[in-house]
Amino acid sequence: MSTKLALTRRSLLKGAAATGFLLPATGLYRPAIAQSNPDRVIFATTQEPVQFNPLLYANGGTDTIPEALVFDALWDVDEKGDFIPNLAARIPTRENGDISEDGRTWRVNLKPGVTWSDGQPFTAKDVEFTYQTIVNPSVAARSRSGFDLIDGIKIVDDHTVEITLKRAYVPFYWAWQSMHIVPHHLLSGESDINTSGFNAQPIGTGAYILQSRTAGSHMIYEANPNYHRGAPKIKQFIHKFVPDQLVAYGQMRTGEIDYFGLVGIPYDRWEEARGLPGRTFQLNPQPYVQFIYFNTEKPQFTDPKVRKALYIACEMEKSIQDINFGSTPRTLSYLHPSHWAYNGALKEETANPQLAEKMLDEAGWRRGADGIREKDGVKMKFTMSTTAGVPSRQASQQLFQQNWKDIGVDMEIRNMPGSVVWGDYTTKSQFDTLLVAWEPPVGMDPDYSARCHSNAIGNGANYTLYKNPEVDRLLDLGATQENVEERKQTYAKVQDILLEEVPFAPQFGVVQGNMTVSALQGIKPNQYVTDAAWNVHEWSWA
Amino acid sequence: MRGDLAGYIVRRILHSIPLVFGVSVIGFGIMHLAPGGPLSVYTLNPTITAADIERLRVALGLDQPIHVQYLGWVGSMLTGSWGYTLFGGRPVLEVILERVPATVLLMGTSLALAMVIGTLLGILGAVRRYSLFDYLATTGAMLALSFPTFWFGLMAIYIFAIELRWLPSGGMYSFGEEGNVLDLLRHLVLPQMVLTLVLVATWSRYARSSFLEVIQQDYIRTAKAKGLSSRRVLYRHAFPNAVIPLVALLGIQLPTLFSGALVAETIFAWPGMGRLFVDALSMKDHSILMGMVMFTALIVIVGNLLADIAIALIDPRVKLG
Repeated sequence: MSTKLALTRRSLLKGAAATGFLLPATGLYRPAIAQSNPDRVIFATTQEPVQFNPLLYANGGTDTIPEALVFDALWDVDEKGDFIPNLAARIPTRENGDISEDGRTWRVNLKPGVTWSDGQPFTAKDVEFTYQTIVNPSVAARSRSGFDLIDGIKIVDDHTVEITLKRAYVPFYWAWQSMHIVPHHLLSGESDINTSGFNAQPIGTGAYILQSRTAGSHMIYEANPNYHRGAPKIKQFIHKFVPDQLVAYGQMRTGEIDYFGLVGIPYDRWEEARGLPGRTFQLNPQPYVQFIYFNTEKPQFTDPKVRKALYIACEMEKSIQDINFGSTPRTLSYLHPSHWAYNGALKEETANPQLAEKMLDEAGWRRGADGIREKDGVKMKFTMSTTAGVPSRQASQQLFQQNWKDIGVDMEIRNMPGSVVWGDYTTKSQFDTLLVAWEPPVGMDPDYSARCHSNAIGNGANYTLYKNPEVDRLLDLGATQENVEERKQTYAKVQDILLEEVPFAPQFGVVQGNMTVSALQGIKPNQYVTDAAWNVHEWSWA
Repeated sequence: MRGDLAGYIVRRILHSIPLVFGVSVIGFGIMHLAPGGPLSVYTLNPTITAADIERLRVALGLDQPIHVQYLGWVGSMLTGSWGYTLFGGRPVLEVILERVPATVLLMGTSLALAMVIGTLLGILGAVRRYSLFDYLATTGAMLALSFPTFWFGLMAIYIFAIELRWLPSGGMYSFGEEGNVLDLLRHLVLPQMVLTLVLVATWSRYARSSFLEVIQQDYIRTAKAKGLSSRRVLYRHAFPNAVIPLVALLGIQLPTLFSGALVAETIFAWPGMGRLFVDALSMKDHSILMGMVMFTALIVIVGNLLADIAIALIDPRVKLG
């Protein structure tokens, strides 16, 4: 073959060089160090919100951003765990007479002069309508927690509603804290709220007004000049979606974003992140605690002593150090150790294989010929499942697998896609054990009835099928106690029993490493809320 | 010829109706029979109870028997909305169409660039078989195909966006620059470079083997024996024949113009169809997934049809029919 080519190496090189010189001329080459613009804040998350109606969203992470920006609740909870009024004029209590002596009647006084961003007044009718929407069977409301206890709601006047509960229930505060108020005048005429156009173009009473949305890219909000808590200091809020965690971290470094929230920076970059100039690295304790969930009705796990033995064989602290770079605090309860109701007297007992072996021997689980323990023909063999493809979870599972192997227990890791493992497999208690991170079921209240009260089996969220009459009694009591110290004692006892009987074995409290440009002020990490932008109206540029 | 063509297109469209129907039945069946489902997203919400999940199952119509759900879905496909997304409650067609421009731009320019560069590399490799250039091109293509896209993407971002700061690391426009073509080009460079690299590798391999086959034919030798210049032989005699398999390849690759690039779009935060698919898959939003399956099926059928017509037009040996 000697066909000569028109394209020579020289001509190719010439072309390439010309392209290279042309690049700067076309403006393609331009050093891109973004300077923070004082009129706006660029807030980034890896996921994109899909549902802007605060009653309907399924994704409690990123969908809380439009919720926190556009809508208001009757009251919020601050970073100390105290309720602060938002649309309500004050927090109802027994002392101020807004809660009746029997705890069943709640009078809520609403702030006068609040308007929806379309100019219509906010009234008691909106509160009543929000409740009716939540309990409407044809509406796919994300939760009814607390609202199912409402017996009736009465509009006293335009700015007062009276709510009657079926029974006294102190955590009822959280119901209204987590469900934001939607407008009656815009939604009451909708034939199907699930597919209403409002869900993509929401109108609220909140600090910001949704201006535009570019699918897959970002959403732009403008400050609400008439916001009832004062117009926000930053004129524009841009919620940008950067799907890759590492890329988002990179954009934080180059100044393309001002705040990287929610999932935040990967654990292995925290050391570096702390030292970046002009950036503030913030630890955001999350309400989630990671657990091993035991199905207490499987023959291997019916005996609390066996569950306890399995728990104390696990090297929990080592898992935190080796896998999470020591960044997540160890917890011995279903609450974060910094939660006001956390029982500080709980003792660390894990990483003790000798004691675990002794307890299993005493419980009658003896090693068989293959080295695996068994009792009454049942082998101590089971599976552990979680969302497939999460390396840190897999690493924890492998550590526990090894810990248990050493004491004659055979655990098989059986991870599945999230849509499989968290479907019927979990809610119908088909699992042996799960590795799962969950937050308390009623806001950040210490009430844990939905997860471990025997009446929450079947229709609640007691997926471990755990039953203990004393725990039931304490949980019922705690839900009616208004005195904080008394409540603390009640829940301390609950935590004691749970750590003794281990229906779920706590591993650590989740912490996220968020980063902001240092000049961005007023951000308050708040472990009692899941909304990263919960106090966005207070943010400002230094 | 024109009448023939119209008749041919009509026949092909009629043939594709059972195909589309089959795709929809299989797609819908697999999606609904697979274990797990969209409600699992709600399970992760801590305030939800098993009773809530049953209530949501009814509210979202997921408690209906599968054939009832299927018929409802077919109805919504035919009436134009393509159903509503499960989690946002928006019309599926609208959700899909708002992603099309970004994907078509990224994939279209990458594919066009890859075609030009890949074909040139292929020709060079074929006419200079076993030369140093050929070995380098072959090795380069193998390397480009072997390394995962996400690695190339992250490297490109690290070097050009974070260290050198020449180019933005992702997105389609800077804020406030929407519609600015230069800004768009700056954002397009990195994802396009990464995608083109992989596509060039594929194209150059196809082009090389196609040209190799053609330039070894007798008529090329005859043309050369007649004293035609090598350039003329290559472009007038070899090129039209060698390019025919590449047109078929283009027909096969055309659907990727619309289906998007899953990895590259995620790494570069490019707001296209690939991202939509990944997000919908992670939430198991059946409505969006089915919409995308049907959309892609339609594009595949159209792509193949266009390729067949193009081949018939450029290759006199092929007759439509």
